[in-house]
Amino acid sequence: MKSLFRLLGFDTLRKEYAYGDDPVLGYTSIRRQAERWVRSTCGYCSVGCGMDLGVRGNQIVAVKGWDGHPVSHGKLCPKGLSEHHTLSAPDRAQHPMLRNKNGKLQRVSWPEALAALTARFRESQRRHGAHSMGVISTGQLLTEEFYALGKLIQLGFGTRNYCGNTTLCMASAVSGYKRSFGSDGPPGAYEDFRTADVTLLVGANIADNHPILCQHLDANAGGYLMVADPRVTKTAMMANLHLPLKPRSDIALLNGMAHVIIRNGLVNRDYVEKHTEGYARLRQFLLEKYPLERVAALTGLDPQTIAHAGRMFGHARRGMIAWTMGVNHSTQGAETVSAIANLSLLTGQVGHSGASPFSITGQCNAMGTREAGFTSSLPGYRKFEKKSDREELAALWRVSADRIPEARGLAYPDIIEAAVSGGIKSLWIIATNPIVSYPNQEQVKKAFRNLDFLVVQDGFHPTPTSEYADLVLPAAIWGEKEGTYTNSERRVGKANAAVKPPAEARSDFDIFFDVAATLGCKDELFPSWAGPEDAFNEWRRVSKGRLCDYSGMTYAALEAEGGLQWPYPEGTTGNAVSRLYSNGRFEFEDGKARLHTVENDPFPDGTDTRYPMILNTGRTVEHWHTRTKTSQVAILERMAPNAWLEMNPVDAKALALESHARVDIVSRRGAVRGVELRVTEITAPGQVFMPFHFFETNVNEVTHDAFDPISREPNYKQCAVRVEPAARR
Amino acid sequence: MPTELPLLDQAGRHAFTLLVKDSRTLIPARKPMPGEQYRFHFDMTKCIGCKCCVVACNEQNGNPAELNWRRVGELEGGVYPFTERLHLSMGCNHCLEPSCLIGCPVKAYTKDPLTGIVDHSADQCIGCQYCTWNCSYGVPQFNPERGVVGKCDMCHSRLNSGDAPACVHACPEEAITIELVNQTAWRADHKEADAPGMPSSSDSFSTTRITRPAAAEKLRRVDGGRVEVGDPHWSLIGFLVATQFAVGGFFTLWLLDLLGRQLPWWAAIVPLAVAKLALAAAPLHLGRPAFAWRAIQNWKSSWVSREVLAMSAFAGAAMAYAAALYLQLPGRTWIGAATVLMGLAGVAASARIYMVPARPSWNQWSTMIAFQLTGFVLGLRLAPAAGLTTEGWVLAAAIFASVLQISNSLAWQWRMANSSSPELRSSAGLLGTALRPLALGSLTLTALAILSIFFSPVAALLFAAAAETLRRYLFFTSAVPKSVASTFLKPGEAHS
Repeated sequence: MKSLFRLLGFDTLRKEYAYGDDPVLGYTSIRRQAERWVRSTCGYCSVGCGMDLGVRGNQIVAVKGWDGHPVSHGKLCPKGLSEHHTLSAPDRAQHPMLRNKNGKLQRVSWPEALAALTARFRESQRRHGAHSMGVISTGQLLTEEFYALGKLIQLGFGTRNYCGNTTLCMASAVSGYKRSFGSDGPPGAYEDFRTADVTLLVGANIADNHPILCQHLDANAGGYLMVADPRVTKTAMMANLHLPLKPRSDIALLNGMAHVIIRNGLVNRDYVEKHTEGYARLRQFLLEKYPLERVAALTGLDPQTIAHAGRMFGHARRGMIAWTMGVNHSTQGAETVSAIANLSLLTGQVGHSGASPFSITGQCNAMGTREAGFTSSLPGYRKFEKKSDREELAALWRVSADRIPEARGLAYPDIIEAAVSGGIKSLWIIATNPIVSYPNQEQVKKAFRNLDFLVVQDGFHPTPTSEYADLVLPAAIWGEKEGTYTNSERRVGKANAAVKPPAEARSDFDIFFDVAATLGCKDELFPSWAGPEDAFNEWRRVSKGRLCDYSGMTYAALEAEGGLQWPYPEGTTGNAVSRLYSNGRFEFEDGKARLHTVENDPFPDGTDTRYPMILNTGRTVEHWHTRTKTSQVAILERMAPNAWLEMNPVDAKALALESHARVDIVSRRGAVRGVELRVTEITAPGQVFMPFHFFETNVNEVTHDAFDPISREPNYKQCAVRVEPAARR
Repeated sequence: MPTELPLLDQAGRHAFTLLVKDSRTLIPARKPMPGEQYRFHFDMTKCIGCKCCVVACNEQNGNPAELNWRRVGELEGGVYPFTERLHLSMGCNHCLEPSCLIGCPVKAYTKDPLTGIVDHSADQCIGCQYCTWNCSYGVPQFNPERGVVGKCDMCHSRLNSGDAPACVHACPEEAITIELVNQTAWRADHKEADAPGMPSSSDSFSTTRITRPAAAEKLRRVDGGRVEVGDPHWSLIGFLVATQFAVGGFFTLWLLDLLGRQLPWWAAIVPLAVAKLALAAAPLHLGRPAFAWRAIQNWKSSWVSREVLAMSAFAGAAMAYAAALYLQLPGRTWIGAATVLMGLAGVAASARIYMVPARPSWNQWSTMIAFQLTGFVLGLRLAPAAGLTTEGWVLAAAIFASVLQISNSLAWQWRMANSSSPELRSSAGLLGTALRPLALGSLTLTALAILSIFFSPVAALLFAAAAETLRRYLFFTSAVPKSVASTFLKPGEAHS
């Protein structure tokens, strides 16, 4: 009847398209008018924007930026502005699903699912050893969940082979910080972007990937911005000086700048002497090995530009260096971070306003898993190899110290390799999607096929990864659960449950809780916990006295203040901007930071006549990682519906290709077919670029599974490929 | 449990230094004075292409993803590494002479006398979508779910209560602001409304002020490779060919009548039936057929209103003339003359609908010529086909009309191919590539319509009807509208 009326021309949707005055939003669509508002923190990236969620019934009908929030100042990016649409997405996981005898995933009850999980993991561990069980988690959970999961895996299941997708993301920053400063933990604050005289962004396209950070740079009147990136990114367009260096020559650039600083007497002698170790060696190394001519040859930049960049940074009163995946996604990622730290240390640009070597992290809570997660270090940045750290933790937990591992287990890529070779037989994957994100897809598919048991716990099903699962656990996502996220500037923000999860989906916290109960270790691991706040309070005690000290924080204060930066020891009040190492004391025993000599090596998958082009990968503003969420948001899909390959006109002409042609990209490992070509001056001749979000045309079919020997982070950013017109299909 | 906030936000509670201005400072502090209006200011040098404005606009208006009242386009220029990348974020330009308003048959558009904002009333709209052709910037968009058009109204009601429009509020770079502009001064000098990737501001006196970068002249739109075959609008093809056939048919009848030829009582039935059917079916192409009667309201400025009036008058006169022929009334040729006059006026009004700057391939007198010639090509063949005449001059005139039609069509294509307008060249390009088989088909059918007239007048009429239908199909599908620069990727279609 309604459709007949519509056909005749009566406006059957008038009510839906009506507007009205809303006390919070002002005049707006009637669809967005909420009954109540819940404060929260965004669940996409590490910027950590504050947001208000407007709820009607059990639905978030509107989001708005949190006015006056110290990070985002009322603004949100396009993903944040549409984040509530992820909750009602058609592909939300609804029920636990277990693979039956016929090989089909079949709905089961939660008790059946939990029983299957513990029985199958235990069975596999009995047959193949405790450490044959692997766990790959994420940077998307809440800190309380990471804290609970770490205990559950390391103490409950007793396997050390627990890592996160954060290894695909910021492991190099972690390792680099540890190597140079003695501990993980970004020293700076976003305020530094506003106060620095000179800012150098290395391999960081924040305009696409962290757009809400840009307002901090905009607010820096008179600041000089240098952007080192082989592509002319949107961020490069913001720069006073773009340094279009050759792929994987950032160490050469950083060394060259340090060389200039030493040559021109711009070293902060006093700081270097008091607070660092290794200057004499570094000085000799740089003066001998990184003269401008060599740096120019390595980077493709002219010597004057390098000298100018070095002098600019050397003369800065407040010098800031920030980086993201252009640095981390490299077999030399950790070393590149060391080269960055060198520059900051040589000039004494650490720990004061506008001065920090600053890792802009990827995921909303990659920092949380670093602090509390029990993967690459013990909770509270304690070291596996340090006896006193292990004993301290054991005492806090009232467990025997010999249950705390003395070394970290396998890192993510090593778990995958062990699964291929048979060392890992069962795997639990939580909130991540390796069948899009792992380099060289053939390898991870081989690994999955080798497993006895694969559990995938995710807010969405099916995902490319959950299709491989033997057991799928439906999880609540952002907006449906409570806890904290730590952003890049060490600000702990509160995320809140505004609505209930769909159908039988449960928060990851509750899932871990029940797994522990089924396993019989709940009372030991989670004593008298009732919810996330109890985990938070225990974590406050565990972090007390550590660099990442939460002991002075409360949920109420986090909500009232728009997050608080750690360290926030007991007795701290207010919400002042904080920095690490302001007193020049670093986390090594002698309190001195380490200067490292770092050589610029070529990337391992070099070009030749068969694979003549360098493929670079990255992201676009509309999408988040493997698009599990953002592919379900119609407006984001509309704005960026498919992947593309950027190629310089010089190369396109040589290949007789035009924009919008479909091309195949072939590497030594595989091929990605039928990608839309964009002929553009964004990329240099000889280089091509492709975003990694798209399962349908997955660039990780061709990327190189080479890993940083220190951080174990993959080398996503450079591999050799050839581009061909798409084979007719 | 999470804290639930009271409905009213506690603004200003935090003592943080504010990075961004309160978005209320990005709109004028006072209302426009007489002679002034609000306008958008867009700063290309600040925009980072994040598209927050697009999402915020869709949220604000509860629009489905496929409708984007604000859109962001990409521009590129220079040679690596001295590449320039900039963006255009555009909503409605709230023009001084809004082509949407001028063309709307039902007065759904108003230009607010106090603010200058071009408002659209969904209640009044009948979904004819004529405004979507009229606007050079592609601003009005049809919502098929609802059957009406919608567009950016600068968040009129938000501005009235002192709040910033959704796009202004959402932009993290303060690239979009609202300003006041003196209308007379802007009419005299509106250069600042022009930018790479924007159709000329002269089409309708766009008021959006654009701050351009120094390197603006280097910039090119990056969506250039995407020229697509247009929507054929089958119902309009049917309407146009049918009404033109009817007008031509009545012209021929009237001419024979005038020359004193005896016409049988049924002579006018075919063209009358075609005209009646076409007019009766016409409302079906509207989003809201039940309100088709409103379409005459804006006869003062809308060619759609005028077409409806003229065609209705034609149909009425044709009815009277048919009756007069049946009754063999004396003096009926005067009614016939009135019928033909109304018919020609109706066809002229039809043609004028399409002659708008936003559609360069239509905005030519060849459209008028082609539409009128279709009437003669078909109408002159109707009489021989119906056995009303075998006179040589009628056949000769029919052939002559066809030759003129082909000449007009080829001249149109040739002019477009050699034009400086990218849209016209693209239209010619479509006719030479994707639409080439059909273009050749229309020529062949016309040739058959000429040759077969000597053997079978019925076949000639059928060939001619097929040729004219195909010609009209090409008219619609080869149209490349003016547009604001879009993104490299073609925006995705609706999720199924």
